[in-house]
Amino acid sequence: MIILKHYKEGDVSYVSHKDILRVLQRGLKRAKVDVRYSQGYVPHMLTYTSTPVPLGVQSLAEYFAVDCTGIDEKELLKRYNASMPTGMRAVASFYKDKNPNLAAIVVASDYVATASEPLPLSIEEILKEESIIIKSMKKGEAVQKEIRSLVFDVKVQGNKLFMRLASGNSNLRADDFAAHINAKCGCDIKTNDILRTAQLVSIAGNFVDVEEILK
Amino acid sequence: MRGASAARHRQMRDKLKDILLQVQKPARYVGGEYNLPDMDKECSERVLLCFSDKYEVGMSNIGTRILYHMLNDTDGVVCERCYAPDLDMAELLRKNSLPLFSLETKRDAKQFDLIGFSIGFELQFTNVVYMLDLMGVPYYADQRGEEYPPIVAGGPCVVNPMPFAPFFDAVLIGEGEKNLKELTLLHMQCREGKVSKAEFLQRASKLDGVYVPSLNNRTKRAVVKDLDKAYYPTKVLVPNCDIVHDRSSIELFRGCANGCRFCQAGFYYRPIRERSVDTLVRQACELMDNTGYDELGLLSLSTSDYSQLKELVDKIKVEADKRKVKVALPSLRLDSFEAEIYDGIQGASLTFAPEAGTQRLRDVINKNINEEDILTSLTTAMKYGVKNVKLYFIIGLPTESEEDLQGIVDIVHLIKKLHAQCGTSKLLNITVSTSVFIPKPLTPFQWESQITIEQMRQKQAFMREKLRIKNVKYSWHGAESSVIEAILARGDRSLAKAIVKAYELGCVFDSWSENFYYDRWMAAFEQSGVDYQKFLDGFAEDEELPWDIVDNGVTKSYLLNERHKAYAEQSTPNCLDKCNGCGANRLERCRI
Repeated sequence: MIILKHYKEGDVSYVSHKDILRVLQRGLKRAKVDVRYSQGYVPHMLTYTSTPVPLGVQSLAEYFAVDCTGIDEKELLKRYNASMPTGMRAVASFYKDKNPNLAAIVVASDYVATASEPLPLSIEEILKEESIIIKSMKKGEAVQKEIRSLVFDVKVQGNKLFMRLASGNSNLRADDFAAHINAKCGCDIKTNDILRTAQLVSIAGNFVDVEEILK
Repeated sequence: MRGASAARHRQMRDKLKDILLQVQKPARYVGGEYNLPDMDKECSERVLLCFSDKYEVGMSNIGTRILYHMLNDTDGVVCERCYAPDLDMAELLRKNSLPLFSLETKRDAKQFDLIGFSIGFELQFTNVVYMLDLMGVPYYADQRGEEYPPIVAGGPCVVNPMPFAPFFDAVLIGEGEKNLKELTLLHMQCREGKVSKAEFLQRASKLDGVYVPSLNNRTKRAVVKDLDKAYYPTKVLVPNCDIVHDRSSIELFRGCANGCRFCQAGFYYRPIRERSVDTLVRQACELMDNTGYDELGLLSLSTSDYSQLKELVDKIKVEADKRKVKVALPSLRLDSFEAEIYDGIQGASLTFAPEAGTQRLRDVINKNINEEDILTSLTTAMKYGVKNVKLYFIIGLPTESEEDLQGIVDIVHLIKKLHAQCGTSKLLNITVSTSVFIPKPLTPFQWESQITIEQMRQKQAFMREKLRIKNVKYSWHGAESSVIEAILARGDRSLAKAIVKAYELGCVFDSWSENFYYDRWMAAFEQSGVDYQKFLDGFAEDEELPWDIVDNGVTKSYLLNERHKAYAEQSTPNCLDKCNGCGANRLERCRI
């Protein structure tokens, strides 16, 4: 099992996760990687991803696991980068005997949103609140959700907003959270200006970059 | 990316940030596909290739795919793309005062040196006006001065260029590998020499297959001489989102040997020219390696007529299996159904297009299949365990009677009986689809009248009633849209104002049934004072036809003779058996 850490930035951030899966698999075919296939009636490539970023959000830390043979992690990274569309570039690769099942173990993600103007420090006050209710659209219907327990950290530095939000099984979409901040604090953070910088796992109650356990 | 272009790209991108996440499938508007050609190379001619339908349709079109890569592989030329934006995107572009832009560099369409439209279908004519509107240019060519780039049209739907001719500075008739390339190079030369648009068009009218509406020049369809050596891209764009035909394709041959009398493509794409097995296998391998697609399509108008199909399929299968790629074989004709090929490739579904229900009517339309052929192929198919049979028919064909419609029902019963006798699958689903006959230019039926909308509905009702059979599904193509398509197919220049009117009344994406409004079209004809009835009633044999100005190869006398043979219920043999002298080889020798 080889795990690639890759970027999803620029125009390709407008490509949905469902489409990205196809892009990844076609890329592997072009790269002539010998990927294992499932043994079902309709065999499919054995590849795995971690929780994706919402449509429009960019990322420096997407993970993609490939069950393949006859290639080492360095060679895969090289061939992968030659076979993917602009905006999808691998920056690190790791070999693991077993599938680490990132989708299940990742609990949080770090994001940074860059606004066109300096952001008010008052945004950080949100951490003092006991309850945060956001409104979002789910399957075409407006829903309300209590998210306080899903917000781990919020920091403002000039025109940058750093966020650590729940990711994975219990998930808070960074775009929904940014929309809440926009409405509350009168800022203008655009979804496309949000960038995921890391995915984190929890070890002994501490957040640790998932890369640490892949090394 | 060079300075100015990079700055513009950034600016447009910033503006797009606000709107892209408000529209459905934003991936359609951002480009960035794999195998994108170099957009920053030195160039003196920047061409915008527009397709008059949505991204997912346009990206599936093999013609524009060829032309796009051909132009980008030409020294000094960069070609970008633009598709008709969906209605939600158009609304936001208007609201934000943004012009229609190219996918690659997000450049304002008006800033290109040359704009080409590919028109695939009559019901896309309003989309042309829609796109011109979004570009912010006047609809009519004679209202666009030197400040606007020449806007030209081409594509499969220009057999009769008249209905939309007033919108364009030139219409390219025939194969773009030849005339679009020549036109682009000529325009580059004219711009360097600071030649006026009028003079450029004057010179362009001397090229093969370039019709200049303002000059109303006679022209001869442009054809590629040697298809085997003709440009064919194998490093093609691979879209990031889902499109209609999401696979790589090789083109086996152009033209068709069958001469079905209702079929425009069958006559328009003549003469027949094949690619060699070696070339095709090489192209297939390159495509599979360069795209990573799971599926490879073998394209042509009638794949089973390819002279070395067995050899080709065998060789390609070996290469495809190595790469875990599936081979798709569309357009297999009923009469040359080969069990061997079928067994290896197709799976458990079978598609037949007998087109007419009785032998008599099949002779009229020259669909050279007899009852015995149908029986033999179906028996074989049943033995191989076919579970689904799809049947395609046309209703409203010349000379059609109730007996012919009953014939369709009889075929369905026959298939059911066959399945009971020798089928190996448990269940057999039969789907019957009927479309309405639309007389098209450059066919032996170009003079015919179309049946009335009431007749269409009656016939569809008849079929609906008769096909209430277990495990049989009946679907039919809209009567109203067939009427509009017929008018637009055989119309003259007077129709341009009706098309504009229809657009102004809200007609756009007419080929998407949910967007088709018959009443708006009827209002458009009325308000623009266009007498559409004459284009439905047909033409007298000695009458001048709107599209006579174009020499499409096949001669009018040949078509007329075919029409007479149709009424005499005589068939014409397949060109592979005998040359029937249609005249297409005046353009280029038929290579069968």
